Amino acid sequence: MNDIEREDKLIAAASTLATEISPEKDLWPGIAAAIAQPTRSRWTPVFAQAAAIVLLVGASSSLTYFVVKDQQRVIEIVPSGLVFEQASFGGRYALGVDYQEARGDLVAQLDVELARLSPEAREEVELNLAMIRGAIAQINEALTDEPDNALLQELLVKTYREELALMQRVGGLTQHVMSRKDI
Amino acid sequence: MTDEAAWIAQAQRSDAKAFESLYHLHIGKVYGICLRMTGNVSEAEDCAQEAFIQAWNKLDKFRGESAFSTWLHRIAVNAVLGRMRKAKREQDRIRLATETVVAPASVADTGELRDLSDAVDRLPEGARHVFVLYAVYGYSHDEASNMLGIASGTSKAQLHRARRLLAQQLKQEGFEI
Repeated sequence: MNDIEREDKLIAAASTLATEISPEKDLWPGIAAAIAQPTRSRWTPVFAQAAAIVLLVGASSSLTYFVVKDQQRVIEIVPSGLVFEQASFGGRYALGVDYQEARGDLVAQLDVELARLSPEAREEVELNLAMIRGAIAQINEALTDEPDNALLQELLVKTYREELALMQRVGGLTQHVMSRKDI
Repeated sequence: MTDEAAWIAQAQRSDAKAFESLYHLHIGKVYGICLRMTGNVSEAEDCAQEAFIQAWNKLDKFRGESAFSTWLHRIAVNAVLGRMRKAKREQDRIRLATETVVAPASVADTGELRDLSDAVDRLPEGARHVFVLYAVYGYSHDEASNMLGIASGTSKAQLHRARRLLAQQLKQEGFEI
């Protein structure tokens, strides 16, 4: 039998593998406990209008910003972090302009910062960023179906913050690496 | 109206008892695909539970455009992929697999099929996912790639890789399918 015949036979054999398999333990109690929690979305228009979500808005001076001093870039984070504003919400939401600008700056610098890291650290950072961005994409997709879901919107904001924090940590880490080399 | 259709309608009205009936009807299919894709009992149990919880939360979106089992399959695949993303590295899966029950996915298979099942478990993640969906569950490349969030060409390449690796593995171990 040649390799192609062997591989074709593999596919045929695979189609006879069991597709229904019973778990050794009963999984229902865990599921029953989880679905007993009031997590199913039951948003009504009235509730949606009455509810509020934390949205990232303007507030440029309080957002993460860069300070250029003595030709060395320093990332400074205001302790209060991002500024939030209570706002009623409907089908539209947006990240604040200043947040987007700060994020854009960090994204632009990211490749430079990553190049200074060890291959292992770089791989770790890239993996984490990919996970966070994958989550952002999934949440955005879910928001397409449920644009008024406050929990999803809040989760999106939190996830963006995680991405921002990670990019800031990369900046801080590479500066630390550089200063040690300089010594 | 079939029992299943009635249970779906009742569960969509938040009837947990009806949903339990759906669970008993479909747990084998859902757990099966989770086990084939993860190759690990404890991960498959977690994924299957997660899939049913997500299904409950999304039930109002089920319109009957596909079979309920197909809809559940998609949710189960997403649950597996989500869990894989959470595990930082594929090495975590391998480590977990060695710490827990060995060769779990093969328990439902006998004889030479058990050898094949064990070999499938040892495939790299991407190749294993495509092989399981395409060769074991009979999804087309378009369907599999859609479920996995990859290009159809990538699905074909991963299948080619899986076939080659499986053939090598089984040949080395002296097994004949």
